[in-house]
Amino acid sequence: MTAISVLGIILCLLMVLVGGKSGFISFLSLICNFFILFVTVILIAGGFPAIWVSFFAGICILAITIYMGNNDERSTNVAFKATFIVMLMMLVLIIPFNHWAYLQGFSPEQSSEIEAFNILIGVNFREIAIATTMLSTLGAIAEASIAIASGLEEIIEHHPGIGLVGLFKSGKNIGFQIMGMTLNTLFFGLFGGDLALFVLLYKLDASFGYYLNSKIFVMECFRVLYSAIAVVAVIWITTYLMGRRINHYRRSTDRIK
Amino acid sequence: MIRNKKSFFIKLALIIVSGLCVYLFGKNDAFLYHQEIGRVVQEKTRATHETVDEFNNYDEVTEQVLELELLNGDHKGEKITVKNHYSLSGGITQAYHQGQSVFLTLHKNKNHTIYQISHYKRDVYLMMLAWLVVVLLLLTTELQAFRTILSVALNFALFILFIEIDVQWNLTYFFWLFAVSAVLFTALSLALVIGLNRQFIVTFSSVFLGTSLALVIGVIVLKLTQSQGVHYEALNFATQSPIQLFLSATLIGVLGAVMDAATDIVSTVFEVKRATPNLGAKALFQSGQQVGRAVMGPLINVLLLIFFAETFTMAILFFRTGNSMAYTFEWTIALGVVQTLISGIGIMLTIPLASFISAKMLGGMNNDSH
Repeated sequence: MTAISVLGIILCLLMVLVGGKSGFISFLSLICNFFILFVTVILIAGGFPAIWVSFFAGICILAITIYMGNNDERSTNVAFKATFIVMLMMLVLIIPFNHWAYLQGFSPEQSSEIEAFNILIGVNFREIAIATTMLSTLGAIAEASIAIASGLEEIIEHHPGIGLVGLFKSGKNIGFQIMGMTLNTLFFGLFGGDLALFVLLYKLDASFGYYLNSKIFVMECFRVLYSAIAVVAVIWITTYLMGRRINHYRRSTDRIK
Repeated sequence: MIRNKKSFFIKLALIIVSGLCVYLFGKNDAFLYHQEIGRVVQEKTRATHETVDEFNNYDEVTEQVLELELLNGDHKGEKITVKNHYSLSGGITQAYHQGQSVFLTLHKNKNHTIYQISHYKRDVYLMMLAWLVVVLLLLTTELQAFRTILSVALNFALFILFIEIDVQWNLTYFFWLFAVSAVLFTALSLALVIGLNRQFIVTFSSVFLGTSLALVIGVIVLKLTQSQGVHYEALNFATQSPIQLFLSATLIGVLGAVMDAATDIVSTVFEVKRATPNLGAKALFQSGQQVGRAVMGPLINVLLLIFFAETFTMAILFFRTGNSMAYTFEWTIALGVVQTLISGIGIMLTIPLASFISAKMLGGMNNDSH
């Protein structure tokens, strides 16, 4: 048996032990997301436009992460809408910044890994870079959005008369309590993965000025910064949409009365 | 109302002015660098070659001649010309346009110096994006933002420090060095988020136990299966033992997610105990598990997306150069998947541990609560 299948079975068992049925569903969502990502790579390599392919993949990943394992309809719908808007916003932000900073393809530090290849493979590395950057922020915004939407749902249940101002305040409170931890998750996830890169940069005796301009270092920093922006945006938008939903709901019940 | 409006305009003006300052500084900071920097004043496109490789991948390589004005160094203000080749796909090389700046390397001959482009100057965009993040954080939460920024900055400084130690000492078993760093990262981040109290002790011990157990399980599985289907040699940028580098990267990579889950659980259990002081250990454990069930799926998905996205470009390169699906998976994506799986196991072990430790600690204290 391969190492991956054994580890996968252990993870599945643990998730079922801790979470029961919902744990198994979460494990399935992980598998689904994996296959979507794998198909995305194959389609992009096959010449399909990278941004469109990953845009649709992104919608699927958001839907799977948000709807699988969460049952409350109002909060999941709001979370999905909010993450979708943020995904569009991130595209609008990522496209010009990646273009200006020219962050795409491979860096000189990777030359030993790619020297066996002819790098002139006729794909659009710019679009690929935009696509991967967008995809890597999706998990964090989905997580933040669910947390806030379900937290607000809880508050609305306990204080049915809460006003919009109160709701926004609570949304902000919940949001920025989780924000610190979410940024930590992203920071360690991204920089932990780059451990080898940092060791290499250090061994090359790179100066601080080189860091600030090197393609790979700036690329990784951009990912952390984009994710931070995405998380802040998703907190605002989720709270706003939740408030609007409540207002709408109240108005329609008033009319019935 | 008028005062509100006034303060709004002052804020807006401050944001715009500070943004402009950062931009202008970034555009004109050449004097801070030792390496020569040139700004493109004129570009001329020369010949374009079409290339087709054995897999029918069509690409173009174009030559351009650039006139640069030196922005720093002894020859500041002088104009030079350099050649640049760039490909249509833009895998490594890039075209340069008027107004952009580049770093230069010098090759000194007897009489004259030859300049070559070394890399693009992109620091201004990094500064601009960092500025945008700081402004957003300050606009939303004045005080908490500083704590978040401080936490990330301190962790980053510690991270760099440990990398320096690693390079300087050059240990054979350097994994333990990063294991120590992971303990410090955890202590530092948790102390900043929840402060030094009982909650800290519970969260810290569950993170420590959960992550260590997950790594032990990971190592045992990799040993037993003889790492079948996993190629550590495929690790990017590896300059030290790839296995240890991979394990260190996995350990640090999962820390944030595990801390996230543990703080959620422990703070909920403490909150529940405060609201209903006569709740027993069993009920407290259950409420901790409840929180864990809600966060586990999204958290593991966050890591999957981060780790998978990092392998994207390499995987596309493999596919485009005629490699099979299985081969591409083994040599590019597999490491990211193993990292996700070990991280997932870490999260799943931390959930019951955090619930259990906090429930045990609070459950037996019915008597001293008022």
